[in-house]
Order: sequence, then structure tokens, then C-alpha cells
Amino acid sequence: MRLKARGTQNEGIPTASMADIAFLLIIFFMVTINFEVDKTTVGLPTTELRYEIPKKAAYISIIASGQIRVSSGEEISVPVPGPENVLSFAVDVVANNPGKPFVLKADKNVPYRYVDSVIDALKQARAEKIYLLSQQDTVDGADGGDG
Amino acid sequence: MKLKRDKISEEIPTSSMADIAFLLIIYFMVTTTFAATRGLDFSLPKDDQDNTPLVDKEDSVLIEILVGGVLIVDGRAMPLDAILEYLKPKLERNPRKPVIIRPNPDAEYGYMVDVFDELRQAKDKIDIEVKNISIPTQREIDMFWY
Repeated sequence: MRLKARGTQNEGIPTASMADIAFLLIIFFMVTINFEVDKTTVGLPTTELRYEIPKKAAYISIIASGQIRVSSGEEISVPVPGPENVLSFAVDVVANNPGKPFVLKADKNVPYRYVDSVIDALKQARAEKIYLLSQQDTVDGADGGDG
Repeated sequence: MKLKRDKISEEIPTSSMADIAFLLIIYFMVTTTFAATRGLDFSLPKDDQDNTPLVDKEDSVLIEILVGGVLIVDGRAMPLDAILEYLKPKLERNPRKPVIIRPNPDAEYGYMVDVFDELRQAKDKIDIEVKNISIPTQREIDMFWY
């Protein structure tokens, strides 16, 4: 008796759905992408309470040496010479968008006087809300991710 | 003589689509940053000298933060986790008792955030909210402190 020849098996990897998967991944990244307006690396303070910061908030970052950078939330942050320049920046931002929140991204080791001058400028500019950027305070006391 | 015509394909060429898609994926993977976008919020009072309520120092709880994170609460040194227990009876008597945080200009900012975070957790820890937290700036202290 003659056996029937086996059906030929395709040796190639099926790639027909690869483009679909790729486009799904693209859509995922496009939806989740978050262009950081401030890429300053600071050691953020840790807090147990952390609230979501609204998108497009204005950023003020202070590194440990006291250098201040500002961004209105629309463009990459730029350094400013001193705390007195934060007031004119904040006045501009509030004039264009009165309810705009400000994010204070300050290093946990920065002397408080720098933060004080920034908060004072925001108060004078009649800003309504500040978010103190923080990282997760984990149960075992270890720090979470970096800013 | 019959001329030979090139046959034009009626389909859109899609062979390079996967390559383009993967290039886009790589671009997004490289540029995506899962940023730390959470923090403690606090509302600023209006900088209006006529309407800003003046807090009587005697009627409030003053938390001073010294260099190195030493906390002085109403003139007495106190660890961070004892502050809420100290505040509890005062808040029960007066739920709107003002709590003033006054960091030393040379104290590290992180200690101020620790104290603020602790006060904001009062509702969970001692079942009573600290409704009136004030962080006066140096300019306000110079103007109004007595």
C-alpha cells in the first residue's frame, strides 16, 4: 500500500500579523507618551500622599546648588539667573492662564530659602495652586524612582 | 509588432510598512519617559493684604524646622511622628486651629515636605483633619511677624 504523502509544512515564521501588532504598539506609545518639559535630575523628597499633577502645568525646578529653571509647561525649561526672575515668569504665566497650576520640582537637600523665594514669587504673582513634586515613600523606607 | 507593456500592480506596496512601524516603535520607546508626575498639592492664599486673615501666634501651633531636621513645636523639640498626637487635643477643641510651618532658611527643603506630608495625613492617622496649614514666606514674616 502506498502511503499518502504528508502535507507540506510552511517553514517560515508567520509574519502577517506583525504589522498589526506594531501599529498597536505605536498607538500605545503615542497615547502614553509624555514629553517632559523639565529634564533636570533632582533628588525628590519622598511623601506618602501623592496626587496626580495636571498636564501642561508650569514647572519650576531647583537643583541642590540653588540653580532655578522654569517652564510654562509648553516648552523645555530654561535657567533663570535668580529667584527674582521667577516673579516675572510667574506673572506672565498667570496673566495668560490664571488658573494654571505650578509644579515645584526641588531637590530635597536644597536650602529652604530658595524654595521660600519661589513660593513668595508665586504668591505675589497670584498663582492659585502649587504641587510639590515628590516620589513614592515606600513601606520599607527605600526611595522610589528618581525625578 | 506587438509592444510588451509592463504590468502595473494594482495594490499599494505594503512590504515596507512593518519596517516603518518598527522604526516608529523604537522612536517612541526611546523618547518615552515615565516621569514622576505626582506630588503634594497646596493652595496659595491670595496675596491681598486687606483680606488675608492674620493668624495670632498665640492661637496657633508653630512648627519650626531647624537645620538638620530638628523640629521645635511650640518651643519644644519633638519627633515628626509625635506631632499629630500633640495636635489632636488642640484640633478637637478648635478644628480650624492654624498650624504654622516655619523652616529655617538654611534647613533642607525635604524636612519641610516631611512635616507637610505628616500634617496632610492627619485625617488617616488621628481621624481629624488639619484644615489650616500655613507656610509663611520670609517676606510675610518680615511684614507681619511680631
